Amino acid sequence: MKTPFIALFFTFFTLTSYAQKSNYSILTIADSLKENANAVVRLDQMDITIGSQRSMNIKVQRIVTVFNDKGLNDIDAYQHYDKTTSVKSIEAIVYDAFGNEIKKIKKKDFRDQSAVSGSTLFSDSRVLYLEYTPVSYPFTVVYNSETETSNTAFIPRWYFLGGYYVSVEKCILNVTYPNDLGFKKKEFNFSNFNIKKTVDSDTKLSYETSGILARKPEDLSPSSDDLFPKVMMGLEKFHLEGFDGTATTWEAFGKWYGDKILTGTTTLPEETKAKIKAIVGDEKDPIKKAKIIYDYVQKKSRYVNIAIGIGGWKPMLASDVDRLGYGDCKALSNYTKALLQAVDVPSYNTILYGDSDKMNIQSDFVSMQGNHMILAIPNGNDYTFLECTSQDNPFGYQGTFTDDRDVLVVKPEGGQIVRTKIYDDKGNIQKDKGTYTIDENGHFSGSISITSEGSQYNKKYRIEMYQPTEKEAHYKEYWDNINNLKLGKITFTNDKENVRFTEDVQVSAINYASISANKMIFAVDAFNQNTGNVKRIRNRKNPFQIQRGYLDSDEIEINLPTGFAIEFLPSNYELKGKFGEYKTEIIKKDNNKLIYKRSMLLNKGKYSSKEYDEYRLFMEQVARNDNAKIILTKI
Amino acid sequence: MKINQLTMILLFSVFKLSAQEFRLGKVSVAELQEKMYPSDTSATAAILYKKGVARVEYNVNDGFVLVTDVETRIKIYKKEGYDYANQSIGYSISGGLKENVQIQDAVTFNLVDGKIEKTKLKSDGEFDEAVNKYYGRKKITMPNVKEGSIIEFRYKVRSPYVSWMRDWKFQYDIPVKHSELTTYFPEYYVFNVMQKGFANLKVTTDKKAASIMFTNKERSDGKAGGTTFSYDKVEYQETKTAYVGDNLPAMKDESYVNNIDNYTTTLSHELSMVKWPNTPIKSYSSDWNSVAKTIYDYQDFGDELNKTGYFENDLKPLLADKKTDDEKISAVLNYVKSAVKWNNLFGYSCDNGVKKAYKEKSGNIGDINLMLTAMLRYAGLNANPVLVSTRDNGISLFPNRTAFNYVIAAVETTNGNVLLDATSKYSYPNILPYRVLNWEGRLIRKDGTSESVDLMPKKVSNDNVFINYSVDAQGKVAGNVRRQYTDYNAMFYRNEIDEVKEDAYLEKLENDNNKIEVNDYTRINEKDLSLPTIEKFSFKGENLTEIIGDKIYINPMLFFTKTQNSFKQETREYPVDFGYPFADKFNISISIPDGFAVETLPAPTILAMEDNLGSFKFNIVTSGNILQLAIVHQINEAIVSPEKYEMLKEYYQGMIAKETEKIVLKRI
Repeated sequence: MKTPFIALFFTFFTLTSYAQKSNYSILTIADSLKENANAVVRLDQMDITIGSQRSMNIKVQRIVTVFNDKGLNDIDAYQHYDKTTSVKSIEAIVYDAFGNEIKKIKKKDFRDQSAVSGSTLFSDSRVLYLEYTPVSYPFTVVYNSETETSNTAFIPRWYFLGGYYVSVEKCILNVTYPNDLGFKKKEFNFSNFNIKKTVDSDTKLSYETSGILARKPEDLSPSSDDLFPKVMMGLEKFHLEGFDGTATTWEAFGKWYGDKILTGTTTLPEETKAKIKAIVGDEKDPIKKAKIIYDYVQKKSRYVNIAIGIGGWKPMLASDVDRLGYGDCKALSNYTKALLQAVDVPSYNTILYGDSDKMNIQSDFVSMQGNHMILAIPNGNDYTFLECTSQDNPFGYQGTFTDDRDVLVVKPEGGQIVRTKIYDDKGNIQKDKGTYTIDENGHFSGSISITSEGSQYNKKYRIEMYQPTEKEAHYKEYWDNINNLKLGKITFTNDKENVRFTEDVQVSAINYASISANKMIFAVDAFNQNTGNVKRIRNRKNPFQIQRGYLDSDEIEINLPTGFAIEFLPSNYELKGKFGEYKTEIIKKDNNKLIYKRSMLLNKGKYSSKEYDEYRLFMEQVARNDNAKIILTKI
Repeated sequence: MKINQLTMILLFSVFKLSAQEFRLGKVSVAELQEKMYPSDTSATAAILYKKGVARVEYNVNDGFVLVTDVETRIKIYKKEGYDYANQSIGYSISGGLKENVQIQDAVTFNLVDGKIEKTKLKSDGEFDEAVNKYYGRKKITMPNVKEGSIIEFRYKVRSPYVSWMRDWKFQYDIPVKHSELTTYFPEYYVFNVMQKGFANLKVTTDKKAASIMFTNKERSDGKAGGTTFSYDKVEYQETKTAYVGDNLPAMKDESYVNNIDNYTTTLSHELSMVKWPNTPIKSYSSDWNSVAKTIYDYQDFGDELNKTGYFENDLKPLLADKKTDDEKISAVLNYVKSAVKWNNLFGYSCDNGVKKAYKEKSGNIGDINLMLTAMLRYAGLNANPVLVSTRDNGISLFPNRTAFNYVIAAVETTNGNVLLDATSKYSYPNILPYRVLNWEGRLIRKDGTSESVDLMPKKVSNDNVFINYSVDAQGKVAGNVRRQYTDYNAMFYRNEIDEVKEDAYLEKLENDNNKIEVNDYTRINEKDLSLPTIEKFSFKGENLTEIIGDKIYINPMLFFTKTQNSFKQETREYPVDFGYPFADKFNISISIPDGFAVETLPAPTILAMEDNLGSFKFNIVTSGNILQLAIVHQINEAIVSPEKYEMLKEYYQGMIAKETEKIVLKRI
């Protein structure tokens, strides 16, 4: 068995020789790469060596020239580690603009910090990172690290381009693996990039690319995950925190996950089972039973994330959640499942990407994926999904965090890919019904009832829980078109049964209408103005998308001051196109009373970069018409 | 300065300690039944009591240590208050001396069927996170927490740092029903106690005798050999002080607040004196002068100022042809800015030391600005360091060493002090980074004497805008803008455009200003910090006017019109902090299209606030088909007290009403 050893030695050799002949002066960087770039990645190379199902070695060499402080983030000189991933070596050397060495940073001079962030309370993950104060720009960092891990469930995804405002001079990926572990890969978004696959055999895969120009972010773009090239990799036979796993088909993977990781986690104390049976009583319908249990879990538990070892993937025991009343998404989903089991309602752990940007589990690439867990309950031919980390979501409501995406439902017989609930544009409703009065001094007073459903419910229902100052700030922001706004009585109705949230708000404002000489001018649409804030973008390159559409319909009664005559009324207006439909109408009831009707439907969809300006103009038309003014003259 | 008003509120009033007792475990059914906090029904949780005992005590192994014992009871009313069921207590590891934190008696109480149910925190809910090599965190997450639960826990911190006692916060973003801190200090340690914030605390003190047993071990000579023990009993006075606050409201942040911590009721302790028997008194800080002197005597402060050898050869040639003080100041400042970069670490004392920082070209605030001071002195200027507390660090009203976290340099000239900071790219003599603009600093001279230095800018920073535009019969607008920024406005503008690609800046400029189309963009004096900076461009806009019927309505200030009042809040608790006085001046010339005449014009107006706080002037004249406007909005003070909030809000309201008034053109 000498061949692999020689191959390994050879890789080393080429790597060193490259480093030696390299010149880190900035003079050799092509001008095109400097355009729009805060940093240029001179070389980004990763060598992944999978020795066996339980061993993976990763070498990283990254050479980055940084032009200004905004480019510091592109250095990426850090390495996470934990009990199963060790950092064998890590170092960085800094060169000045001419390629002269300024500083060498050894392993002991890297900062060592716990990697606990955001909603995580505790984790055993740590990070080593480079802390360097630039003396002058530009400068170049040559970063090398080597790590070793027994976890082969996650082979790092390879991104040829790491972000915006950064260009790539050269990028190399080499992966070697035994031919019997079922190595597989999937390529994404290669079409607009010149990426060469230099080797693709049953033991080795290599890619190379050069000269990727820096890109600028553009509003409403799909996420960079859907724009930039990347390679996803995985093994059919992998290892995760002490468990060997298989991922040949979703069925097999799901079965492994169920049998090895989930098994034995749903045992509950008899006392709890008896209690939950008593609460459910003689309810027979499984969905109604689930509703009672979901409510029980929401009242009993809270979200706390503790990720230690396998705890990052294996749920806490249901009996522990029962005792402690907290857990992460896996723990709370699993606990709900255990309670449902006790009353004979089947349910399944469901793995997915939780994000307001819709992101799919790649259905044709069987592997460990996802960052979140919810629970699926069979409901006829479909599923009802429960977000168990939320203490206030309505039963079965998916909001914007888990809606409309491919997820993996883990059933005892194996895994299955399913699409979660799609909220229809016309079901994302906001209905406004209100009235306002303008007095002879131009002062405004009125009241409105705003009802939100579908994904618009998600934006609104939290207002009820705001602190008084936050509530005030919210409405003053929401109606920033009304200066000097004063809020009166506010009441909320949260109808969770129908997923409908209603705000009843009384408002007043002095000087709403501007008065000049004997005239009074004000915008008719006071309560729901679209500001049309769609940016003008010079030479847009990316396609754009509207992730979720909506339908707003308003009906407002307007009482005009006595002693004034209408000099000018905006005319009725209608606009229809691929982006949506917009319509306003003013009906004169009598001399002092108008009815204003408005409806706005926005269609979700994916559009080309060329259609962007059209969309901007559409929204600007809407904004302009929403701001249409009425003129009154004193009589 | 507004310090007088604040100190008045801080006068302590002394009462007898109330008879009410708070003890862990004594949770009542009534407390568990409570659905909302009586005086603040929106509170998501409340601290029912927090009781701390801090004691400087002696133990044979460690000598004097500071032991702090804290008990807390928290009521959770709503789900949004669940965060309070997770607690974190930081501790220091640096210098080899580790603080020790122990969490005990952590229990969740619930009311189940009218009975109190206790759930104890077990080890699976307690974590010890080694954040980095300087500090760690003990964390707990309480079990079985629901709406209505009460949690209790106690923690003990043993610290070898007697001189560094944790601040005691009486207020949080939830209400506090009762909070008390009791300190026990032996007569050897004298602390300064400082209070921030507005709450009234009851303070009681009591002195009593205490004693320490020292064990002396002696090895005697002679044939008998062996060790003899002798005991010394030392008697001393121990002072007990209790601070009690009741019914303290939740702290709520507001816009334009400098730093909410400045208004949060907090007690800080600082060691001011150590007086051992039979040894001279060691004094740390009791007034600003001795604070300054103490800091000056630190090796990593005063001594660093005396080192000059490392830069002399480099600096000498740069100073050769500089004659005036101003020239020398600029030369030295620019040199330090280019020679050493700030590593984002704060602190008035040197981290690396000036020599090393100079060699490695990077250092903390102390390294850089003490080096700056030394070089200014070398150049023959009367330069001294000025201790500063940054905005984030808050304001300290009482003398103490920890009040400061920053240092700048001052050159005393015949025209007053010139303040300098070499850690920021766009700072300039008397134009300091925004973080430094925080009330007063403390200037220390070579002889150790010191004086306070006002850091708040007095000079008005200008934003001078000249706009020339014409409106055509379709309401389209085309024109030119020339915009000049001075002083702090120039600094902010330079920061904004720093390293931003022009294309990206223009895109933002266009989108922020009603989607105008910008052309012929140029900048003047972008790099020369001694001069105001200017930007010029021409623009076109289709959405800038409104055509209603056959009339054209124009906001004369176009996209410069202020349409929203920044002060939306009804009432104000804390001062409004503008950072520096400023004036926005507009000179606008509008040419109206042929075939149109002015129907109505906004009338000229002057709004002035009391005490010369600020004024708004709006003037408009017509000549032929040209309209000329001169508009000035000027605020003369950096900080506005809350009593003036109503006036300030009305002023902005009036200004906005005026600025949004339209010029109406009619067809002729």
